[in-house]
Amino acid sequence: MDSKIKRIYVPMTETGFYILFCLQKPQHGYGIGQMVKEMTDGEVSISPGTMYGTLAKMEKDGLIVFCHEENKRKLYRITELGREVLDTEIRRIERLYRNSREGFV
Amino acid sequence: MKDTKTMLRFYTIADFREEEIWLREEHRNGWKLTKMRPPCFFRFERCEPEDVIYRLDFKNFSGNSDYFQMFADYGWEYVSSCLGWLYFRKPAAEVTEENEGEIFSDTATKLDMIGHIMKTRMLPCLVILLCCVLPYLCYAVEEGDAIGYVVFFSVLSVAYLYLVLYCGVKLFRLKRELETGKY
Repeated sequence: MDSKIKRIYVPMTETGFYILFCLQKPQHGYGIGQMVKEMTDGEVSISPGTMYGTLAKMEKDGLIVFCHEENKRKLYRITELGREVLDTEIRRIERLYRNSREGFV
Repeated sequence: MKDTKTMLRFYTIADFREEEIWLREEHRNGWKLTKMRPPCFFRFERCEPEDVIYRLDFKNFSGNSDYFQMFADYGWEYVSSCLGWLYFRKPAAEVTEENEGEIFSDTATKLDMIGHIMKTRMLPCLVILLCCVLPYLCYAVEEGDAIGYVVFFSVLSVAYLYLVLYCGVKLFRLKRELETGKY
């Protein structure tokens, strides 16, 4: 992973993380939004401008790739590079979780 | 009673939030926006008074079907576009949580839009000011052009300078408010 990608995407925003996480299977923007709402009991909702902008940026940076179009909706999926970023993030969050569970001494 | 009206209102590139509030008020008074005509003509149609939220996105493209579909899926009706601005609206009654009334849900993408306005609108305006307007004014003064002409051109230059400064300061302030979490 080049340092520019690392600087932009590690650590990631919650929005960015969920979008990348959902794109492990091909999905379109609105579908991602619905999945995220369900996963977070409605606590994380992503607006269309933010969804569109984030997808466009991730596609430009090579984290996701356009697969095909369905009823005017573009479907994307994660790339190798995106996978690498996602795994790095998951490891970071796991560490965060572990440390916070152990308590402060 | 007339069923349509066209209003001329000047909003700078930094006044999009004021513009959103004004359009919402018009709709509440029974006038819904139907079309924008450059540079700043707003065409309205009489309608049932309703509380409708208006939001502007700045894209510098006339939009593609995928983009409009995304907004439609989220319940935003596309109204019109004008000089890079895209106008969307959604009835306030459909908004059950705060984010549903916004087209941007995080700071990064709000900042991206302001950055985009600065880069594609402010920068060219500044370049025109520094490379054309001011040098030409100096040239006219030095050459001793007709006083009426120099005064006329000076007034224009000052107005231009004021607008560029006004937009620059306002956009910069918006950016700072976003970065410090005050907006």
